[in-house]
Amino acid sequence: MSTESSHSSDIDRSLLDRLRASPFLEELLSNRIAVLGLMIIGAMVAVAVYARVAYDITNIIGTMFGTNPTQAPPSAEFWFGTDGQARDIFPRVLYGAWFALKYGTATVLASTVFGIAAGIIAAYYGDLTDNIIMRTMDVLLSFPSLLLALALVTIFPEELGLWRAVIALTLVYTPRFARVVRGAALKVLEDEYIEATYALGASDPRLLIRHVLPNCLAPITVQSTLNYGLAIIDIAALSFLGFGASPGDPSWGMMLSEGVERGLFAGAWWWSLFPGLFLALTVLGFNLLGDGMRDALDPRMRDTVD
Amino acid sequence: MVSKRFITKRLLLLGPVLFGVATLVFSILHLSPGDPAVAIAGQRASEEFVEQVRSNLGLNDPLWEQYLRFLRDTLMLDFGQSYQVQRGTAVSAILRDRLPITIELAILGQIAGLVFGLPLGIISAVKQDTVADHLARVGALAGISVPIYWSGPLLIVLFAQVLGVLPTSGRISSIYFVDQTTGFILVDTLLNGNIEAFWSAARHLLLPVVVLGIYSMAFISRMMRSSMLEVIRQDYMRTARAKGQGAKITVMKHGLRNAFIPVITIVGIQFGTLLGGSVLTETVFEINGIGTLLVSAIETSDYPVVQSTVLVFAFMYTLVNLAVDVTYSIFDPRIDQ
Repeated sequence: MSTESSHSSDIDRSLLDRLRASPFLEELLSNRIAVLGLMIIGAMVAVAVYARVAYDITNIIGTMFGTNPTQAPPSAEFWFGTDGQARDIFPRVLYGAWFALKYGTATVLASTVFGIAAGIIAAYYGDLTDNIIMRTMDVLLSFPSLLLALALVTIFPEELGLWRAVIALTLVYTPRFARVVRGAALKVLEDEYIEATYALGASDPRLLIRHVLPNCLAPITVQSTLNYGLAIIDIAALSFLGFGASPGDPSWGMMLSEGVERGLFAGAWWWSLFPGLFLALTVLGFNLLGDGMRDALDPRMRDTVD
Repeated sequence: MVSKRFITKRLLLLGPVLFGVATLVFSILHLSPGDPAVAIAGQRASEEFVEQVRSNLGLNDPLWEQYLRFLRDTLMLDFGQSYQVQRGTAVSAILRDRLPITIELAILGQIAGLVFGLPLGIISAVKQDTVADHLARVGALAGISVPIYWSGPLLIVLFAQVLGVLPTSGRISSIYFVDQTTGFILVDTLLNGNIEAFWSAARHLLLPVVVLGIYSMAFISRMMRSSMLEVIRQDYMRTARAKGQGAKITVMKHGLRNAFIPVITIVGIQFGTLLGGSVLTETVFEINGIGTLLVSAIETSDYPVVQSTVLVFAFMYTLVNLAVDVTYSIFDPRIDQ
């Protein structure tokens, strides 16, 4: 934190310059756990983009009776086997990466933006505004997250498909970001340069966006990364419980739900094994990166004392 | 010492939060498109019949009237009767049957998490940046990355179908009759003096508890590691070593005790997550706790059951967090203001 604020006095520097100058990136890249996470995520992004470009979604969703064998085990032709609708599982699992990253990104992005807005406004205006915002967040935080999502998801029409899950989870995650941002913003607001900027006549939005926000970015980034994995796993969980993806969608949650319910206990283990493996690996990637980031940001974790 | 003021203040805050929760749940239910009257009357019922059901349930009254009635009933601890899941049964009776099942699962899961997570975190911290540390951390993170609804079914297939050593689902073999006293099946079978039934229940619980335990193990070991790392660098640790005390004893005697404080918080927060995770675990292992109750109540628009189940979840969650804060302030008096 201290290194961050010493740079921040130089307000004309672009964000990128500041990031390059900060010891954070260097620290992060020397953290093996974070690098492993980055590698996994990079590979998944490549898989997702490849699947999006190489496959036509309608071919992936449609049944393939007659063309392919039904519930065939993995073979040279069907690497991950086929499912109950005779669909080739391999391209579906790859396409699942696109689904997971797309909806996961939407969820994390939306809850980060809302959380930043709520947290910064609460911290800056204080008093009643702070109380109203944060007490609302307290109510949202007093549920186990998946439960609240489960209740919220029913409000939205089924036609929204996976977007239903995205909206519900955004509402569930926003309070966490709001708390983190508020805490960080309160610290930043005590700094003298904020007062100086204010004295120079900066407007509220300018002050908050140009000066407060950039100095809260570190904890927000960690929270976003850790939440990414959670978002992907929760979106799939909602699909698994029947609230989210539609039957046939190449989303890992849906494939798991169908594969477990209809295939697993009848011996077709491949139907659920591969989507689950990819899901777990992706989530692991984000958790590794988030954990590494947290260490890189935490001066107490650095080996300077011994 | 914990001041009475601290606890009173926290308890007083509980009221508004629960009021907010109740309002939120009520709004969610009345915003959602499901119609309980149609669900009760059946899809093919005549319009008049559906209308009659609707007015019998009081669903035609103005929304604010329904809201006030719901608040009043909840305050009087009258949760109404189930529309669908167990039609006509008092919700309080359903909850009394099912709540202990979920709590038992969450407690056992938390114990399993502590048993595996604490040693893992300590090893990780003491051997920071060695292979053992990296393995422990990646292992723990893998634990939270694996979805319960994937690992659970795979474990069932492996242990029940392939190896045939554990039962597939449920809480106890159907040949045993358990006299319910506490609702906790491990306790009840022991109270009955039926050791065989106890073992049957334990074998049924093993997989769900392991699955939940792995999940909370990851958080506990992570917290224990970072907390321990911080403690190890404290001056009093150096002093203890300088006095000539062995490394192991220093870690165990001085380190552990201080490092454990933040872990309490995570145990509390995790307990809530475990309660939430019970929705998935109970679905996978076909256990009739309040997790599966909530899912089927949502699917059938069973308003009274959804309302009270969610309230109970939120109540337990906030209560556990309160307990955590109180415990915390006992360990660390600086927090108590």
